[in-house]
Amino acid sequence: MDHQRTNWRGYVFIAPATIYLTVFAFVPMLLAAWMSLHRWHLLKAEHPFVGFANYVALAQDPFFRNTIANTVLYAAFAVPLGVITSLAVALLVTRQLRGVGIFRTLYYIPAVSSQVALSMVWIWILLPGEQGLVNFCLDRLNAWLGTGIPTDTNFLGRPGWAMAALVAMSLWVGLGPRMVIFLAGLHAIPEPLYEAAALDGCNARQRFWYITLPQLAPTTLFVIVTTTIASFQLFTPVYMMTKGGPRRTTDVVLYHIFNEAWQKFEVGMASAQSYVLFAIILLAATFQLWIMRRGLREETLQ
Amino acid sequence: MKRTLLAAIQYLLLAAIAVSTITPFVWMFFTSLHPPQAQIPTMATLFCPDGWHFENYTYVLTFAELPVWRFAVNSFLVTAGVVLFQLTLCALAAYGFARLHFRGRDTLFFVFLLTMMIPAQVLIVPLFTLVQRMGLLDTYAGLIIPYPYLSTAFGTFLLRQYFIGIPRALDDAARLDGCGDWRILWYVILPSAKPALATLAAFAFIWTWCDFYWPLLATSTTTMRTLEVGLSVFSDAYGGTRWPLQMAAAVIVLVPVLAVFLAMQRFFIRGAVVSGLKG
Amino acid sequence: MRVFVVATLLSAVVLLAILSRAVVGRAAGSARIVLRVSNWGSPAVESGFMTLEREIREEFEQMHPGVRVQFEQIPGFGQYAPKLLMMHVSGSVPDVIALDASSAAVFIDNGVVRDLAPLVAEDPEFRLADYFERVVQIFRRDQRVYSIPLDFTPMMMYYNRRLFDAAGVPYPQRGWTWDEFLHAAQRLTIPADQPGAPPRQYGMYFMNVMPFWVPWLWTNGGDVLDPTGHQATGNFDGPRSVAAMQFLTDLMLTHHVAPTIDEGKAAGVDLFRSGRAAMDVKGHWMMIDYQAEGLDFGVVDLPTNTGQPTTVIYASGLSIMTKSPHADLAWEYIKYMTSREVQVRRVSSGLAISGNRQAAAHYAGTPVEDAFIAAVEYARAPWGATVERYPVVEALGEEMMEDLLRSRAALGVQTELHRAAQLIDAALAEP
Repeated sequence: MDHQRTNWRGYVFIAPATIYLTVFAFVPMLLAAWMSLHRWHLLKAEHPFVGFANYVALAQDPFFRNTIANTVLYAAFAVPLGVITSLAVALLVTRQLRGVGIFRTLYYIPAVSSQVALSMVWIWILLPGEQGLVNFCLDRLNAWLGTGIPTDTNFLGRPGWAMAALVAMSLWVGLGPRMVIFLAGLHAIPEPLYEAAALDGCNARQRFWYITLPQLAPTTLFVIVTTTIASFQLFTPVYMMTKGGPRRTTDVVLYHIFNEAWQKFEVGMASAQSYVLFAIILLAATFQLWIMRRGLREETLQ
Repeated sequence: MKRTLLAAIQYLLLAAIAVSTITPFVWMFFTSLHPPQAQIPTMATLFCPDGWHFENYTYVLTFAELPVWRFAVNSFLVTAGVVLFQLTLCALAAYGFARLHFRGRDTLFFVFLLTMMIPAQVLIVPLFTLVQRMGLLDTYAGLIIPYPYLSTAFGTFLLRQYFIGIPRALDDAARLDGCGDWRILWYVILPSAKPALATLAAFAFIWTWCDFYWPLLATSTTTMRTLEVGLSVFSDAYGGTRWPLQMAAAVIVLVPVLAVFLAMQRFFIRGAVVSGLKG
Repeated sequence: MRVFVVATLLSAVVLLAILSRAVVGRAAGSARIVLRVSNWGSPAVESGFMTLEREIREEFEQMHPGVRVQFEQIPGFGQYAPKLLMMHVSGSVPDVIALDASSAAVFIDNGVVRDLAPLVAEDPEFRLADYFERVVQIFRRDQRVYSIPLDFTPMMMYYNRRLFDAAGVPYPQRGWTWDEFLHAAQRLTIPADQPGAPPRQYGMYFMNVMPFWVPWLWTNGGDVLDPTGHQATGNFDGPRSVAAMQFLTDLMLTHHVAPTIDEGKAAGVDLFRSGRAAMDVKGHWMMIDYQAEGLDFGVVDLPTNTGQPTTVIYASGLSIMTKSPHADLAWEYIKYMTSREVQVRRVSSGLAISGNRQAAAHYAGTPVEDAFIAAVEYARAPWGATVERYPVVEALGEEMMEDLLRSRAALGVQTELHRAAQLIDAALAEP
């Protein structure tokens, strides 16, 4: 190993990627900060410097507050539900059953599919009347159980339901990747731990709570953080299915930024909004890390 | 007996979830074969349309105003371009970080990793302005080169991990034969790193093919649209009508990416796991 | 060997990227100028009108050998302006676009479309006076002309003459008042046989589309925004607007001469068109449908509470994008499309009134047509012609109207208008 000799070739090899990242990552990031301090309209020639006026305006903007609230609400449901459902399915799949690989592949398909195509299909799923899948199933349920659940709900057109529909869609799409990660985490748990517990007389439930879950903690943390970050980046289903409606109840941050930048062409304000989003994501991720770290420390102390 | 019962319940549950995952795709496919002017089929009529209209696909592909075949060509070109371009960048950089020694190497790598922290939304607005100033909007170059999802750092990271694992003995043997760094990279490292390269290629393919946001902004003329964006324009054009045609277009968009996924799922799933456990 | 293959692949991709522009351009036809024309609408819809327009475009091509007209429709509700503006930003624009008065401001005030005044001045064949002045005015800023009118319609009150005759109500005349209107509507509302059921016949049909109901505010001297178009508070919630909104919602909620939202949805059809409502505020285009239904209708100016009739006029015109490289050819196209001969054919279906006076005169002579044309004298341009973010205002206005119609008793007209005005101000505010 010759650490002393600096091989200038190293610089040559990393040069293309470094230049690329500088031009297409660092520069834009700084440019975004710069733009957020200006009133910058794509069609107008003048870009006056306004300091933090954009950020101040955002704090007072009822539409942006609504946007943040929607996004947080969405994440508040999508993340816990998503993590729990994918963990549950991973537990189902982890046993040595034949054909498990097929299920794994099938569940993964929505995650690699075109979001636009999926959105189009989900519009169908949510249609009112007998044409929509959900209402069709409710109708069959009514027939089977004798219940009177209404089957003409236009999910995408009703304020609370539209958000619920988006959450449901995120569960459906994200199940595969999250499950796969949990599977890897589950397989990494050493078998001797379970054997020792069984010898001590623990039943399945105790094994789950005292071995599986704690061992899975780092993986769970990872899934929580990545799902949170992903949920703050919701865009295509909103663009295709709800357009932020009804009544701006599904106007999430990324969609709002899109409108600001490319419908109103206010890229200065849109940059400010992006940085606010960035700050929120950082905060959320850091907060989750901190919580989990504390939880882990307490666990190990016991 | 209890074991078999448990196993049966497990299978049942898994199958139920599988059905719910597959149903939309099945519906999509069957609806695409209904007569173009048909109403949205109910579950009852889904499997018995008024004739099997495979010509919906030909119609959609050659529809003059919205040339889906053109969108497909664009998508292939752009995706191939991105995959090749990113693989090149990442392989070169990964070799540099993994095998070569130079001042500031580890610091620079750390800086690389930092870029993974930047979310794409922050970048897209200024990236658009930048690309506009370069005059690359509405061109293939504008779609291929600026890739706001920072998989360059991720790809470099992934490849570097793998390269480090390749035994140095192979390098040394090649060097004894008189190979320089370039040849070592090409003849020793890359062949040994095929799984990692395949993983990266699979990721890049699927990300690029299904990318909606950037192509939506970077293209404005219809003929430059990629499939994903073209599909949304197609959907706009028909609104709530002609579902069979819309679904035919959707199937056309889905088939290539599903094919790639099924062929490369080994790499894809492993890659997801690697990134998960390391992160 | 592999190096060779990969190198070829890479260079092929790079080459393709560079040549893409040239390839696309040449594919359009060698040694030909391609004139790109854009309009809103869905390319999926085929109609007689679309066929007619295509024929007209082909005639233009024959008149100008070596020129190909490439027509692009931009689908998506509310997407026309943003998509065109994006093209302008990217630098790859159509040459000729249709401009809708309701969203013209952002194009005109940002130099996206060209000032046509110099082209008009230099062209001896073209006379701006051939076009309705008030319609031209919509697309003007002082001396600069940004669009040549294609067609237009004022919003007028249609009335079903058969229903009026049956009820013994005299036909309304221009200048009729709100009271006269309400009186007529009440006499034309026929309750159902069963108590509690919706009326068999309504005095008026109502749709919550702000472009249709905004003139009601004007007929009382109220308005959405102040004269400079910057502020809604004080205007949208001012006393005159409140009174107008009260009157309008009273029609549905107090006097029950027009259907409520639920009644309208339950009916499922345009009640005026199906002969179950005696009056409706609509534009020229509806005549086609009404004639198809065999309705015997008349047209009159909107009832007014100020003594002066007023209404809004919606228009479309043809413009040249500033970044177009074919300005002169585009100008020839515009002249052709707005010429008397072509216009007479183009509006033959009755879709709208031609912006060309002589072409419009070709169809004049019937009371209905004359009523429409006479309204041009006093009709006002929509706010969208001067206020850049007006579409947002319309969306907010319609939300407010829906809230009012659902629960006005609980909310109060003044409060709702005030709340909407504040939201509108927030939406219009400078970032």
